[in-house]
Amino acid sequence: MLLEIQNITKIYKGKVKANDNISLSIAEGEVFGLLGPNGAGKTTLVNQVIGLTKPTSGSITINGVDAIAKPDYSREVCSFQAQVQAPISGLSTMQAIELAGRIRGGKKAEVHKRALELAEKLELTEWQKTLGLNISGGVRRLVAFCMAAVVPGKIVILDEPTNDVDPLRRRTIWQEVQTLAKQGSAVLLVTHNILEAERVVDRLAIIDQGQVKGMGTPASLKESEGDVMRLELILEPKAAAPSLPDFLKKPVVINRRILSDVQPKNTTKAIEWARGLKENGTIEEFYLGPATLEDVYVRLVKTHEDTEHHERDAR
Amino acid sequence: MVKWFRSYGLMCKWTFLSSRPWLSLNLAVQLGISVAFIYGMGYFYGDIATATAKYLTTGSPTIVLLTVGLVVVPQVVASMRSEGTFDYIWSLPVPRMAHIAADATNTFGSMVPGILLSIILGKFHFGFDLNISWLVLPAVLLTAATATFVGYTIAFAVPKPMMVNIITQLMIFFVMMFSPVMYPSVNLPQWLQSVHTVLPIQYMADLMRGTLTDLPANIGQSFLVVGAWFVGTFILTYFMVRRRN
Repeated sequence: MLLEIQNITKIYKGKVKANDNISLSIAEGEVFGLLGPNGAGKTTLVNQVIGLTKPTSGSITINGVDAIAKPDYSREVCSFQAQVQAPISGLSTMQAIELAGRIRGGKKAEVHKRALELAEKLELTEWQKTLGLNISGGVRRLVAFCMAAVVPGKIVILDEPTNDVDPLRRRTIWQEVQTLAKQGSAVLLVTHNILEAERVVDRLAIIDQGQVKGMGTPASLKESEGDVMRLELILEPKAAAPSLPDFLKKPVVINRRILSDVQPKNTTKAIEWARGLKENGTIEEFYLGPATLEDVYVRLVKTHEDTEHHERDAR
Repeated sequence: MVKWFRSYGLMCKWTFLSSRPWLSLNLAVQLGISVAFIYGMGYFYGDIATATAKYLTTGSPTIVLLTVGLVVVPQVVASMRSEGTFDYIWSLPVPRMAHIAADATNTFGSMVPGILLSIILGKFHFGFDLNISWLVLPAVLLTAATATFVGYTIAFAVPKPMMVNIITQLMIFFVMMFSPVMYPSVNLPQWLQSVHTVLPIQYMADLMRGTLTDLPANIGQSFLVVGAWFVGTFILTYFMVRRRN
């Protein structure tokens, strides 16, 4: 494996445990997703890989090299798009991309060619000469992605690369992520966007409260949910959560959404019951289908403060 | 070493381009301050003696360099720390001191026009002679570098960036009012004179005066003391920028 993270624990001053015994590994050419709610410890983990933060215990090796002892090596082989916006206020978008490529050791002519290619793919050409301070947050994010991808390292770490980016360009970013992997880079992708991540990652880990709650391919994680269907109800605004019948199992309430398991033999009953709720104005709409990765995520990550409270109400 | 200088060059370009949108305003303010300083002294003192004007004018570069080092540098660094700029830059394969050196070069480079203007304008406005030694170049570089690295030391040592503003305000007040830059150290009480024998401020002023004019100054001792401060603050900065949370 190119990147090996073993039993990483990070405790900040003030005793905040941001990572708790995390282990995972990523191979060359693999896209690995790191999913989790805000404050789950995802950015702390990647900051340790890149050498910005030092683990309290555990080991990180890249290509067999101890990345904790040699953070400079880590930065040489990892190209990184940070969660924070890139400090490019005084630079034009092309200057920023080309400078990042040159800093990553690229030759001037090759970097220029690749920067133009990326700018064209992500439709940034109209902002080529625009200074960073005059572009929107979304475009700035795209530029930061190009800065990480212009001369990609053996490992490419992307922390929320599609935040503030429009849907069409998001799709292009995901294509580029897959291209980077095909070219041999290991891609570590930190994102909240489960549905999009599902299409692009080979494997993923779901992190919550600093711990890995689930890990595997999207298909294997969905299989772990068993042979059940998922019923999703969207409550009308201000409507009270209805009492759930016995054939709906493991209910989870998140704001106006109620998710629950349905055995295949009970799907007809579930549809009839949901239709009744729609007719009497309790719910806006409902969906019944096989479990998605989002269902797995919601099941594993119960971060919402009111989840348990709503869960009780729903029963 | 080749990589270090390559990174330094590229980071100089990055920091220069980053400061470019505000460069013209920055230059205009500095040049304006230099002109105001020279003419303001004339108004402040009324019939100012040439020797006094010479003393004050040749103190102005030290004041400018200390202001930049002790106020501008820490405040800019504090702001960059708050915005996560260092996390971004330091995730790049760039030696951290190459980035710091590039930042210091850019900061100092932007101060040069104002310093030059105040000395030249002072010379012609008050009609005193300069006696410029070749040592002026290392003296200015050492003073600028020391002031800048004192600034970095403060900026990285203070845990909360917001506290930096308060500390720098206090420091510049001390430099302006209670340091022998614009007046001789004998004007100060004995205990404060003793304090200034270990601080670099009066030696910085002596370096400037001693290399720009024929005014008496112990250049050798000044190089030694300011040099020691430079080495000390450079080492502290080096360790602070390399530490990881």
